[in-house]
Amino acid sequence: MTATDVQSQLAGAPAPADAHYKLPDVAGYPDVPFEEKARLFEEITNDLRFSDYLYGCYECGICVAVCPSARFYDFSPRRIAQAAAREDVELIYQQMQEDIWECSQCFSCLRCPRGNNPGGIITIMREVAVNNGLASAKEALAGYSRIIYKIMSTGTQVSPDMLQPDAFPDWGPETGDVSANLDLWRRALPPETMHTTTTGWAVADSTLIELYLIWLHTGALDMISDVDASLHAILTELMEERLEDEGIEI
Amino acid sequence: MSSQTVAVIGGGPGGLRAAHAITEIGGQVVLIEQREFLGGTPIAENYAGLTPSGEPAEPQIRAMIEAVTAHPAADVRLSSQVTALAGEPGAFTLTVAGADGDQTIECGSIVIATGFGHFDPGRETQMYGYYEYPDVITLPDLEAMLKTHTVVRPSNGEPPERICFIQCVGSRDRHIGNEYCSKVCCGVASKEAIEIRQLLPGSKVYIFYIDMRMYGYWENEIYWPAQEKHRVQYVKGMITEVLAKGDRLLVRGEDTTMGRPMELLMDLVVLSVGMEPSAGTRQMAGVLGVAQNRFGFIDAVGGPLDTVSTSRKGIFACGAALGPADLEDTVSSAAAAAMKAFGCVRANATATAG
Amino acid sequence: MTLTAGPDGRSSIPIESLKRKKDHFERGEDRRSLEDPRAELLELEDKGELVVQKIDHEALTLPTKYGRPKRIQKAHLWHHKSCGQCGHIPGYSTSIFWVMRQLGYDYHDPRDQTSCTAWNYYASATSNSAAQAAVAVRNFAAARETGYFPLIHCGTSYGHYKEVREELIRHPELRAEVRRIMGKLGKELVLPEEIVHYSEWFHAMRGEIAAKQVRDFTGIKVTVHPACHYYKLVEGDAIYDPDIYGGQRTAVVTGLAQALGADVRTYSTWFDCCGFGFRHILVQRDFTRSFATLRKIEVMKEEADPDVVLTHDTGCVTTLDKSQFAAKAHDRNVGLAVMSEAQFAALAMGAHPYKVCQLHWHSADYRPLLEKMGIDWEKAWAEFQADLKRLENGEKRYLDWDDVDN
Repeated sequence: MTATDVQSQLAGAPAPADAHYKLPDVAGYPDVPFEEKARLFEEITNDLRFSDYLYGCYECGICVAVCPSARFYDFSPRRIAQAAAREDVELIYQQMQEDIWECSQCFSCLRCPRGNNPGGIITIMREVAVNNGLASAKEALAGYSRIIYKIMSTGTQVSPDMLQPDAFPDWGPETGDVSANLDLWRRALPPETMHTTTTGWAVADSTLIELYLIWLHTGALDMISDVDASLHAILTELMEERLEDEGIEI
Repeated sequence: MSSQTVAVIGGGPGGLRAAHAITEIGGQVVLIEQREFLGGTPIAENYAGLTPSGEPAEPQIRAMIEAVTAHPAADVRLSSQVTALAGEPGAFTLTVAGADGDQTIECGSIVIATGFGHFDPGRETQMYGYYEYPDVITLPDLEAMLKTHTVVRPSNGEPPERICFIQCVGSRDRHIGNEYCSKVCCGVASKEAIEIRQLLPGSKVYIFYIDMRMYGYWENEIYWPAQEKHRVQYVKGMITEVLAKGDRLLVRGEDTTMGRPMELLMDLVVLSVGMEPSAGTRQMAGVLGVAQNRFGFIDAVGGPLDTVSTSRKGIFACGAALGPADLEDTVSSAAAAAMKAFGCVRANATATAG
Repeated sequence: MTLTAGPDGRSSIPIESLKRKKDHFERGEDRRSLEDPRAELLELEDKGELVVQKIDHEALTLPTKYGRPKRIQKAHLWHHKSCGQCGHIPGYSTSIFWVMRQLGYDYHDPRDQTSCTAWNYYASATSNSAAQAAVAVRNFAAARETGYFPLIHCGTSYGHYKEVREELIRHPELRAEVRRIMGKLGKELVLPEEIVHYSEWFHAMRGEIAAKQVRDFTGIKVTVHPACHYYKLVEGDAIYDPDIYGGQRTAVVTGLAQALGADVRTYSTWFDCCGFGFRHILVQRDFTRSFATLRKIEVMKEEADPDVVLTHDTGCVTTLDKSQFAAKAHDRNVGLAVMSEAQFAALAMGAHPYKVCQLHWHSADYRPLLEKMGIDWEKAWAEFQADLKRLENGEKRYLDWDDVDN
């Protein structure tokens, strides 16, 4: 802190932003008022799982030592747990905009001797980021919307017809073979449920109706309304039409 | 033997000190030990040196044994187990199963000195491979080696060049349920690290820790000399996995002061296993009907100013039967328990006489 | 008093007694060994809070990590399929079914099943705990309606469902919310007595599988990659056996490979994740490729020189198999066959490498492995092509089990 900073504080002026935190133009995401950051943190701590996911932190580093993402990114599950434990809403906001999408969600960090679940804290932070349409969530989900569409509309996430060589050029020429022979190779599968190409297996219509009811009644579908408004609109229309056909009212 | 006698259960350092203390102040004591020998864990597990002084353990413990066995007011029963308790404070009757069958012992009060057991690293939350790799050993395993003045890799009998200690094994862990600090492991590991550096001056010795806890004089008597004189390397960060790589062991953790994952090759890995209530402590709590705390140790009910009274009047406990304790704690609480137990029979004698 | 004294008055180095001490690990009781989600479910069922689907056929009992016995029903199973397996590694699911058929156990392959949706959830967080629990419970309720007991193919489904069970046990408000949603579906809040992964079934049945082995796997060098969501996520349910890795690592996959006579070798990144990352495999693939090759494949090759890496989860097979192609272009030390232990067991029992194990969907070269197993893959491929011809010329619309068993 410079002498001027100290003087301005002594004079009762508002403290300047902590130099540790990046300015919005450097960070690539908008800064928001402290109250908004505090509100986001409260949304995290209000999740019913939060109290099972965070106790205290020894700074022992076990979670970092087992973390695949810590080996490749400037990422640390220990810092996530620490920031949450310290209720440092500035740092938590920064982590929600920068760090959380680097986590692999492998849950190796569950061996924390204190019983913390840094990966679980991140799951909640991501949910809050999606729910509030944070820039990091929009960025993370750009290019991902077809997967969300697939899982929410068909009940299976990975379909054979996703194996396109232009989508997976790094997976080798076999991907091209699969897509070239897709229909034939699928028909060669002995299990009757697996002759599909647009879904992993044949899901019954009545099952899909039930799945749509779950997305609608739990608010899961509405979570994406801020991050991807057009996807949200398409899925809502699809589900509502389908339910209407069945004579089901929401 | 009568209601004027104090019964001490357990013949380790705590029980020996308690028994000796009772004879010193003019009381009668019967010392009951389940093993066929006295001396407790330091003898059974072949401890090399006492912490913090490093003095050879066996002669020191033997002196304690002599002090008891040589005293006419002390009756020592080896290979004996308490199986039942009847009566009330001032007039207890213990049933003791021994080599010659069941016997009864009349006593006025009881001191439980049944001590601790070392945590079994097979139950550890981290992946240390104690049951997979010969060169992963525990603090007491190393003590037994140090007693022979030889430290080798069990896999090949060669002296190790790179050795590490991993702290808090089985302690301070919510999953295991041992939420407490075992108190002694920081000091014992540092003492052993010094001994290795003295035996093998070419070796490199690391200690991986969460916090180093060496209170009071242990700081200047062990921690500083270990770092400054013997060049033991202290790294703040825990090891989470030990796996074989070639014929060495790869240890993996985070160097938390540097903030990066670390991987190092070791020849010998020493797990600083913590303390748990011994099987004897758990059994005696049941047989004598005294309350245990949620970790299974005997519950001291008197608060911070009375460390030895149990939930049952006339029954006291000392040392590691009450929770993690070093030898200094143990002999201190043993003397306190002896005094309380003796006071109990004296008060009873006075009441009877009156 | 007994102290072993050497000639100079010192005791001898206690190496032998140290080794004896480590001969066998016997798990003592601690907090976790007393945890029993099964008992908690039954208690909640007694209170009318939920319905527990019981194991009602012959079952084998296996030890879990903290010693709780876990029962694995042998037959009459409801196959909770995996979207990644069915979609991209269809030989994985097909081999699970095939082995079960060969052993003569009946099963149900439902259409009334959705994915657990957890791959998407761990990738994008575009869901919430109530929705995730409702998806799980809907599938469990569907299983119970058929009378078949659920067997879960995917490691992530298995891990996530254990998480869901834990949340439902712990939070009454979540139970109430899920009951409300299930009410709209005309279903109850149903959970099975045990959440069982197919690799546990294979582990339990490894004796029966080995008894039907027709190909000799002596000399086949194997490394195992254990799936994080199998044994790290709600870890108490995972199978551990004191006779495998001294009870210190999960026994599934390894136990089966050993029972089939393969040479199972270890390596120094055994506990590492594969690098799947859920979102990374799809949209941040540089991470997945790097992690899978640098931390797993290359380490295995350098330290264990395996013929094949076996694993037991959708994401792990995909990651380890698909990540090698790009690394090869960078002259990395890759090129290692990848498959599930279900496919490996099927091959041991004589399964066709293409009609059953569907290895043409795999990317890393599996042909040297087949040769080592004594399988003429060129002949097998020609047989498969002949079958495809029958489909192309309209002789049949689909291949079926009769086609692969003959």
